[in-house]
Amino acid sequence: MNETDNTITTTRSGRDLSDAPDIIVCKGVSKWYGDFQALEKISATIKEQEVVVVLGPSGSGKSTWIRCINRLEHHQEGDIIVDGVELTNDMRNIEKIRSEVGMVFQQFNLFPHLSVRDNVTLAPIWVRKKPKAEAIEQANELLELVGIPEQADKFPGQLSGGQQQRVAIARALAMEPRIMLFDEPTSALDPEMIKEVLDVMKDLARSGMTMMVVTHEMGFAKEVADRIIFMEEGQIVEVGTPEHFFTNPTEDRTKLFLSQIL
Amino acid sequence: MTEIQSSAGVPVIAAPPQEPHLPPKEWLKKNLFSNVGNTLITIMTSVVILSLANGLLGFAFGSERQWNAVAVNSRLYMSFAYPEAQYNRIWFSFATLLVLAGLSMAIWRGGTRMPFARLAKSAYSFGVGLAIMVWLAPLSTSGTVKWEIAAGGLLLAGFIFNRIAAQDEERSLSSLTLLVGTLASIIATLWFIPYGRHSFIGDRIPQVVSEPGTVAFSTKLPWTIMLFVLVGAYYLGIVLRDRLPERRTRSVLMGFWLISPIFLIYLVLRDPAFTMNHVLYTDIPLVLGFLVVGSLILYALTKPSLGEIGRIIAMLILLAGFGSFLTPMRMIIRIFLIALGLFSLAAPTFSGDKSTRRRYSSIWSGFIVIAGWLITAVNTPSTVEVPGDLFFGGATLTLIVAFFTVILSYPLGVLLALARTSNMPIFRLLATTFIEFVRGVPLITILIFFSVMLPLFLPEGMRLPEVTSVTIGYALFSAAYVAENIRGGLQSVTRGQHEAAEAVGMSTSQKTVFIILPQALRMSIPPMVGHTIGTLKETSLLYIIGLFDLLYVGRSVIPNQTAFIGSTRENLLFVSVLYWVISYSMSKASQRIEKRVGLGER
Repeated sequence: MNETDNTITTTRSGRDLSDAPDIIVCKGVSKWYGDFQALEKISATIKEQEVVVVLGPSGSGKSTWIRCINRLEHHQEGDIIVDGVELTNDMRNIEKIRSEVGMVFQQFNLFPHLSVRDNVTLAPIWVRKKPKAEAIEQANELLELVGIPEQADKFPGQLSGGQQQRVAIARALAMEPRIMLFDEPTSALDPEMIKEVLDVMKDLARSGMTMMVVTHEMGFAKEVADRIIFMEEGQIVEVGTPEHFFTNPTEDRTKLFLSQIL
Repeated sequence: MTEIQSSAGVPVIAAPPQEPHLPPKEWLKKNLFSNVGNTLITIMTSVVILSLANGLLGFAFGSERQWNAVAVNSRLYMSFAYPEAQYNRIWFSFATLLVLAGLSMAIWRGGTRMPFARLAKSAYSFGVGLAIMVWLAPLSTSGTVKWEIAAGGLLLAGFIFNRIAAQDEERSLSSLTLLVGTLASIIATLWFIPYGRHSFIGDRIPQVVSEPGTVAFSTKLPWTIMLFVLVGAYYLGIVLRDRLPERRTRSVLMGFWLISPIFLIYLVLRDPAFTMNHVLYTDIPLVLGFLVVGSLILYALTKPSLGEIGRIIAMLILLAGFGSFLTPMRMIIRIFLIALGLFSLAAPTFSGDKSTRRRYSSIWSGFIVIAGWLITAVNTPSTVEVPGDLFFGGATLTLIVAFFTVILSYPLGVLLALARTSNMPIFRLLATTFIEFVRGVPLITILIFFSVMLPLFLPEGMRLPEVTSVTIGYALFSAAYVAENIRGGLQSVTRGQHEAAEAVGMSTSQKTVFIILPQALRMSIPPMVGHTIGTLKETSLLYIIGLFDLLYVGRSVIPNQTAFIGSTRENLLFVSVLYWVISYSMSKASQRIEKRVGLGER
C-alpha cells in the first residue's frame, strides 16, 4: 500500500463496547497439521458489533484461526464458543453456527453453475427454509446493497473479480448472519477492484455487524477496526486499538512487521 | 478487439473483419498447391483416396454382390421374428415417438435457418462427389446413366439455390422444411420408383421371389402415414405453442418423453393373451395408493417447522418396511414401504415453501410410477405368440438392451461414485470392492453369469426372462465404469466449492445435490457419451449367450439362409453402417448438450 503516514484519520476505536456481550470466545485453541503446530494456545474474546482485523505475515496462522471459528478446520485443543454454542463434532451445532456466521473467501468460491441470484437465494431457501419469493426479494435488496443489482441474471464467470467478491458478500449476508468472517477478501483482486469491495465492507462495519477480517489492507485496518490482533507463528503477539498498534507498538516483532509493510 | 456498449448495457463484441471469399481457382492454389511439397502431398493423397473409394465402390456394386440379402431380410434386421400380425403395435409405438418429436420441434422452436448460398454450396459439393463416385463405381451402363442423372439433379438444385441467393442474400430455408422435404421425396419414391418386391415364400425351404413394381403395400403405406403424423404433430405443436403457457407445456412434454419409451416397450413386448386382471385389480391400485398416501405424508413431512417428530415418523415407516419382511406380504409393498421411509428420512433436508414441498411430493410420484411399472413389467409374461421362444432381436434388441442398460446404470453409477468418495468407511469399502471387482471381470463372464447362474439364485417360483436378467447384469457392469467417470467429475470440483457450501450452513446431502453433483455431472459429459456409445456397441456380445442381436443377425443368421449363403460381407457392411449412424448421431447430440450447458466456460 502506498499509505505511509501513521496518523489515523478516522477511527472507531473510541466506541465503547465494554458492555456488549461476548460473541466469540476462544480459550487456548491449538491446532496441528501433522507435526507442524499452526495455532498455539490462541485466547481471544470478540464482542458483539466489534470489528477485529487480524494482521500478520503469511503463514502466521491467521487464516487457520478464522476458519476454525466456523469449523472449516478442526482445532485439537481448547474451546471455541460462538454465540453461546460450543464447537464440537456434533454436526447440528456446527450447522447452527455456520448459518449464524457468514464467511467470505479469498477465491470468492461462487457456485459457477448457478446465476448470481440463485447463488444468493440457494442457502436461504434450503437452509433457512424461506419461501422462494421472499428469498428472491431479499436477494434483490442485497445485490442493491453491494451495488450490482443489474447483474442478477448473469453467471459468476461473466463478472469481474470485484463483482464476484461482492456477490459472495451478498450470499453470506443472505443468511442474515450475526458474525461475518473475511478471509483475505481482497488478496485475489486486481488493484482497481479492491476499493469497491472494501467500500462494501466499510458500509457493513458501520451498520453494526460483528466482523473478523484477515487482510493485508492497512488502510482498512486503520479506518475501520476497533481492535487489531497481530499474529505470528501461530501465536497472538499483540492486541490493541489501531492508534496503539500503528503509532507505538510494544512488541519488537510487531515493529519489525510494520517496518516491512509500511 | 473493440467493445461496444449496446443499448441494453450488455457489452457486445464487434465481429472481426470477414475474410474475403476466394474464387475456387485461387482457393485451390492457396490451400492445396502453394508449393512443390504441398502439390506432391495433394496429388498423392488424392490418388490414395480415389483408389480407396474405387475399391470400396467396386466391392459394393460388384455384380456378384447379393444386396437383396439385406433388402429381403430387413424385417429380420429390425425386429427379428416379431409376428407380422402384431406389427401394428410397432407402428403405433413409432407413431407415438414421432408425435412427440413433432410436438417438441414446434414447442422448442427447433431447426435453424439455412441461407440459400450455403445450401447451394452443399448441393454442388454433393453433386460433384456423387458424379465422381458413379464414375468410379463398376455400374452397368444403364445404372451409370441413372445415377449420373441423380447427380445432375443435385447440381441443378445447387444452381437454382444459387440463383435464389443471388437475388436476395437474406433468403433462407428452415432446416425442418429441408428435412421434411427430403423425407417426403424419399417416401414418394417408394410409390413411384420400381425398386422391386422381394419376399420369402414356402415354409420349409424358403425361396426368394422377386417381382417387378414398387415395394409392397404394407411397407409404403405405414411410412407415408408416419410422414403425415410427423408433419401433423408439428403443426399441432405450433397451435399449442401459441395458446398454452410455454414452460408448463415443455415440462409436460418432457414427462411424456420420459414415460413413453417405458410404456411403449411394454406395449411391444406384452403377451397379447396376458390377462390384465392382476395389473388392473392389484398393481395399479397399489401404485395409486402409495402415490396418493405417500405424497400426502411427504407433503406433511417437508413442513419446515415440523422438527424432531418428522424423523420419528420416518423411522417408523422405515421400520415397518423392514419389518414387513417378517410377515407374508407382496414384495412390491415391501419395496414401496422402504422407499417411502427413505424419502421421509430425507424430507427435512428438502423442506421449504409450498412449491418446494409440492415438487418433493411429485418426485415421489414419479419414482413410484416408474418403479411400479418396472416391477409390473418384470412380472408380465412377455412372449408374443410365435413358434419358438425368441421373437425379438435385431436392432430392436440391441437398442432396448442398450437403452435400459444406460437408464439403469447412470443413477447406480452416481450412487456408487458418491459412496466411493463419501466419508463413511462402510459405504466406501462396499463401493470400492464392487467397482474393482466388476472392472476386473470381462463383460462376457458377467453376461454368462447372469443368463445361466442367476436363475439358480432366484427364489423358487420366480423366473426372469433372459433379456431382463442379462440387462440387469450388463447395467451393473456398466455402472462400475459410469461410477469411475463420475468420480473423476466429483474430484474436479474444487475444495473451495465444498467449503463455500458448508460455510452457508448446508448439510452434506444439500451440498451434494445442489452444488457438487451438478458441477461433477457437467464435467463428466464427454467421457459419459463415450461410455454410452461403447455400451451400445458392446451389446454385440449378446450373441454369446444365444440372443439374436443386430450383429449376429447380419453375421450368422442371414448368411445361413439357403438363398443367401456367403452373403456375410454385404451384411457386415450394412450392419457397420447402421452402428455408425446411431453412434454418430449420439456423438452429435452430445456436442449440442455440451454447448448448451456451457462446458469449458466458467
